[in-house]
Amino acid sequence: MLAHIGQKVAQTFAVLLIVSFASFALLKLAPGDPVVLMLGSEFSQETYDDMRAQLGLDQPFLAQYVQWLGDFVTGHWGTSYVGRADIYTYVVHEALPVTLTLTAASIFLALLIGVPLGVISAVRKDGVLDTVVAAGALTLTAFPSFFLGILLIWFLAVRFGLFPVMGFVPPWQDFAAGMWHLALPALTLSTFFIGMIVRVTRAAMIEVMEQPYIASARARGEPQWRVVWVHGMRNIMMPLVTTVGLQLGGILQGAVLTETVFSLPGLGQMLTNAVLGREYVLVQAGVMLTALMFIFVNLLVDLSYPFLDPRLRTR
Amino acid sequence: MADVSIDHKSILATHIAKRIGRRTLLQGMGAGLLATTVGGFLPGKASAQQAGHIKIAAVKHIDTLDPHFTFFLAAVQIINNIHNGLLKVAYDGEAVSFEPDLAETWDIEDDRTHLFKLRPDVMFHDGTPCDAEAVKFSLLRVKEGTPASPHAWKLELLEEIEIVDPLTIRLRFTQPYAFLPVALTGSTGRAGTIVSPAAVEKYGADYGRNPVGTGPFKFVSWRENDSIELEANPDYFEPGLPKLARASFMLIDEPTTAVAALVSGQVQGMNDCPMQLVQQLKNVPNVTLYGEIEGNYSYVGMNTTRAPFDDVNLRRAVAFAIDRDALMKQAYFGLAQQAYTPISPPMTGYFDPDIATSGRGHFFDLEKAKEYRALAANQDEIEVTYLMAERGPVGTRVAQVIAPMLAEIGIKVKLELLESATWVQRMKDRDFDMLDFDWVADLDPDETLFPEFKTGGSWNYWGWSDPEFDRLCTEAQVVLDVPERAGLYHAAEDILMDSAPVAMLAHLPIYKAFTNNVQGFEYIPADLLNLHTVSLG
Repeated sequence: MLAHIGQKVAQTFAVLLIVSFASFALLKLAPGDPVVLMLGSEFSQETYDDMRAQLGLDQPFLAQYVQWLGDFVTGHWGTSYVGRADIYTYVVHEALPVTLTLTAASIFLALLIGVPLGVISAVRKDGVLDTVVAAGALTLTAFPSFFLGILLIWFLAVRFGLFPVMGFVPPWQDFAAGMWHLALPALTLSTFFIGMIVRVTRAAMIEVMEQPYIASARARGEPQWRVVWVHGMRNIMMPLVTTVGLQLGGILQGAVLTETVFSLPGLGQMLTNAVLGREYVLVQAGVMLTALMFIFVNLLVDLSYPFLDPRLRTR
Repeated sequence: MADVSIDHKSILATHIAKRIGRRTLLQGMGAGLLATTVGGFLPGKASAQQAGHIKIAAVKHIDTLDPHFTFFLAAVQIINNIHNGLLKVAYDGEAVSFEPDLAETWDIEDDRTHLFKLRPDVMFHDGTPCDAEAVKFSLLRVKEGTPASPHAWKLELLEEIEIVDPLTIRLRFTQPYAFLPVALTGSTGRAGTIVSPAAVEKYGADYGRNPVGTGPFKFVSWRENDSIELEANPDYFEPGLPKLARASFMLIDEPTTAVAALVSGQVQGMNDCPMQLVQQLKNVPNVTLYGEIEGNYSYVGMNTTRAPFDDVNLRRAVAFAIDRDALMKQAYFGLAQQAYTPISPPMTGYFDPDIATSGRGHFFDLEKAKEYRALAANQDEIEVTYLMAERGPVGTRVAQVIAPMLAEIGIKVKLELLESATWVQRMKDRDFDMLDFDWVADLDPDETLFPEFKTGGSWNYWGWSDPEFDRLCTEAQVVLDVPERAGLYHAAEDILMDSAPVAMLAHLPIYKAFTNNVQGFEYIPADLLNLHTVSLG
């Protein structure tokens, strides 16, 4: 087990190195100049040259990358070009908690809604309810989340005043207000995920229901709810956990749009602005953190298999 | 010169007053200018109790809160609430004027020498005094500081700063400098803003995240993509101000969200309302919109350094082929005003109120456009690349409306949609045939015309050059008589318009919105958002 984790950690470092170089190179290849963007439309050539030199952008590409890598590894994350925000504080203490909270709430919401619906449609396979749920799931998956976000804002927040339009309140400071502010963005972000969970749950549950141990449980005279929610559930955990792990990328992608629409100061909004402003160092920090999250969750999924399925435990 | 009877003071005073469309305020020049009211003689303590917390949606980019380094008006809006300048921009509902701010009086001793007497007992938010030394420090920081301020050119002619006594400072310029009030208060970055020397010492390059001024509000915090927080300065020198206890600028990228937050009352103001949302806000009963035509102009720029737009007749054809009525309606939501030449309506004395009937400048005349098109060297259908991006006040709308109009004169427009950063890069590299742009001008004809059309100028993206235009603009810089100066600029404009490196489009209004419980907002058509007098009802 320990060797397994060690191997994974080594892989993680290799992946991070590749990711960091790729994103640095891609951003540099993209046209656009951070100095031009930060200076706006009215500036002179001297101002431009000064600023470029100040930011070290007059150095060759590889020198810039090596410089960045050294700084990053030694914990000198620096400041953003324009606003001179301390990148470590900004990314780790401000943006990351927002995105983690939003993502966790969305996954929670998606599971809370998606799993029961999936189970019900599996049990009532080909019934009216199954058809309705399947159609609903497909619609939700296909619905553009930014548009849904705007609809929710205008109906639930503006028209009926049930929720705030925007903003983030840390739930660990004020739980009720935090949840209240999180409700619409989490719902928006979870929609495409709900559809996915419903379908995975349904498919897995249908398969499980045909297994001999289910027939055996039924034969023992166990009540239907116990057959489905205890024996059935335990056996769909693996595909469910795998789906959540694999879809984290999708969720983070959705977070970019959701954070922009609801003006949440998270990683998604930070990355969007950083890319648009060609804030190379800031983008790097965001990308590294996102990659790290992705790898970490996959590692967790990996490590959870032996707990979810006794057959995978090493003797 | 033998004629010593020339009264430089009055000439310059009249000149300054006229050029910015100003009236009586500057005319008592010899006696010095009295600051606002008798308040200037009272101890600068706020008497009123501050109350209320206003939240304002800031939908435009904020780069830094350092007045000497910012490039964006959205940043100046906040900076202006934290800092004061030697002078400030004021507005009486008709015309803009420049009044003493930290200065108690502003005396023009001769055409090159300005004497400022400062208000006594003014303190920075960090408790250090705002005196002549601090003013000198700030001006020098702009003029020759390291790193160099991008606004240093505004004080290039400043020759000497003399501290007469702790509250009196004399500025000498190398030549008559009537541009001074505009230079000190000018829109993007304010060269005449006074910052705390102690704070600059302490924070260095990070001053922009820790600004310390003398203004009605103190800086509290700045969380990226979240908010910038200010709190009232109880020791502010204008009596009874500020009225609010706190102010938050909520940093919102998506204007639709900002409008929703405003309508639902989650925020009480919006620092800029994009044109496409104006009509929607006009229909909301509990919201008041502020917006007038400001000092700016938009246009389609053409790359004169390469074919096909190195052909003057083809450019002229474009200038007259654009149906401005349709453009105002379809691209600018019926909110903008047609521009015939660059000089914009708020520039009293220089803007010609009868320009629409004067025959000067650019307007829609398809016959004329076709005549010029017939003179063009290339008589085949010409394909051109028009760069557009989701930027500026109306995004890609102008490009989309204009493209079919140019088909009428045998120009096939290939619209290329770019991401903003790429668009800027291509413009700077002159890798385009056409693109539309808008220029935000200080309220001065020189700043309106010369920087972006002079030969080899940094902002002359069109690669256009005309020695006679350069000569007229240079000559006008030192002419004091307003009608004569206006004549020179009109002649320069006529050369520019005739050669048509750009086709003029519109002068644009800039909007701010508040909910109706926000009282006392004083609108200034220089994109300012001063909260000094604002209260929440």
